[in-house]
Amino acid sequence: MPFFGPPQFSADAWAGDADELVRSSAISLYIAAVSTLLSLVVGFVLAAYVLAMPRTGRIVETLSAATIPIPHVIGAGAIGLLLSDSGFLERLLGMPDAFPALVSGPWFVAVIAEYAWKESAFVALVVLGSISRSVGDLCDAAATLGAFAGQRIIRVVLPLAVPSLAVSAAIVFVYTLGSYEAAWLLGPTTPEPLPVRAVRLFTSVDLAARPQAMVTALVSVAVSVAVISTAILVLRRHRSLR
Amino acid sequence: MIPVLQPASPSMRRTLPGGFPMRVILGCLLVAWIVAPMVPVLLWSVAGQWRAPTVLPSSYSLQGFADLATADTARAAVSSLSLGLGVAVIATPLGYLGALAVRALPAIPSRFVEFVLLVPLAIPPFALVMGVNIALLRLYVSPTLGVTLVLVVTALPYTAFMFRSALASYDHRFEEVARSLGASPGQATRHVRYPLLASAAARAFFLAFLVGWGDYISTLLIGGGQLRTLPLLLGSAASTTGNEQLTTALSVAIIIPPLILLAGLTLPAARKRRQ
Repeated sequence: MPFFGPPQFSADAWAGDADELVRSSAISLYIAAVSTLLSLVVGFVLAAYVLAMPRTGRIVETLSAATIPIPHVIGAGAIGLLLSDSGFLERLLGMPDAFPALVSGPWFVAVIAEYAWKESAFVALVVLGSISRSVGDLCDAAATLGAFAGQRIIRVVLPLAVPSLAVSAAIVFVYTLGSYEAAWLLGPTTPEPLPVRAVRLFTSVDLAARPQAMVTALVSVAVSVAVISTAILVLRRHRSLR
Repeated sequence: MIPVLQPASPSMRRTLPGGFPMRVILGCLLVAWIVAPMVPVLLWSVAGQWRAPTVLPSSYSLQGFADLATADTARAAVSSLSLGLGVAVIATPLGYLGALAVRALPAIPSRFVEFVLLVPLAIPPFALVMGVNIALLRLYVSPTLGVTLVLVVTALPYTAFMFRSALASYDHRFEEVARSLGASPGQATRHVRYPLLASAAARAFFLAFLVGWGDYISTLLIGGGQLRTLPLLLGSAASTTGNEQLTTALSVAIIIPPLILLAGLTLPAARKRRQ
């Protein structure tokens, strides 16, 4: 679109830097996938612990619920202070020489840690809300039939939690895919995830970057819609998951 | 927000594999996972001097909190508060109406409303903002109103979900009893339905308030620097290094009010159920 005169259609913004778009999408998908996986695992362990330990579980549950109102921009700042170069963790470990670059490093470790930290509490909350009523009796029954503790976790608690895990996985994945703050504060400058790239181009002084910003935003929407539709299809197909 | 649990049955209590030491280790690991990121924030907010190799600050001071007492921060706090309240006041009744519509409409329109209520979850907030920004500018919508409207869209799936789960377990016979005892439809709604849905409404209000209170990217892009909320102050402070005391004190100041609200919402209900 020119600065003045009639607007014209063109596919330049799509074709011009298709490589960059693909790379940004791949990075965003990588961050979302690893964060979702981690938060599901930690969230399930949190929920199982809360259900199994009546007293200490209550403390863990309250602490974990208290992290939910913390905005992501604060979570990102906190993870930055914890994991950065000469941050709290490195000081605790006695400043080892081989401390890896977690913040702004190539693998987005700090970004993923922030999402996993915030979203595991969310996953635990959803799982607890959906299974805490029924799980006790079923575990009793399984124990009567001779199931060991480990078997009860794998064969009773996990299958009961799968529907809520599946729903929260879809929500966490789409949320981390479109979230800006942590990727911006804790990620390296290149390669950029989709949200960081879109916002940088959108707020650029160069108005000619606008079409590219819009293309990046559209690609993010397309990826999110594809993920949500797949999730709905999978949930429909396996009615037992609902 | 915190689901109230039934007491664990005896066998569920023995369900974690491993003996007592394993359970203690797991508990400590989980607590460490939850608390670890907040430890440096709390320490920095009261640190006077904290040079690199030392594990704890070498001196403590409340300078970070004292630096918060400026007119700028106060204005930002008022903006954040009114943004949170504005989003909550609009999104809570809309969520209620949406949930009612999904329940009352015939199958196909109901599916459509359900779809519309869920769409904001699938659209990343920054993409939503970029798309709507031009329309807001053309319509001469003020930044504050624009941010509020966009965040209402973001908050709507949460408030609608809260009311939907509350309505799913809601027993309509209470209202029928009230009607057969001579209450008008309005009275039945006011004296029966609203009290029964009050806790869901409080949770929906809280979630919508959080969306406005903690938002960063929508406020930045639509507000265009005119609407300065607490997260915006934090974002610009956190992207530069060297003023950790101020940044962390600001973080603590942003976290505390919702935590008090959360405690106020959950503690009375939990106490009532325990009695």
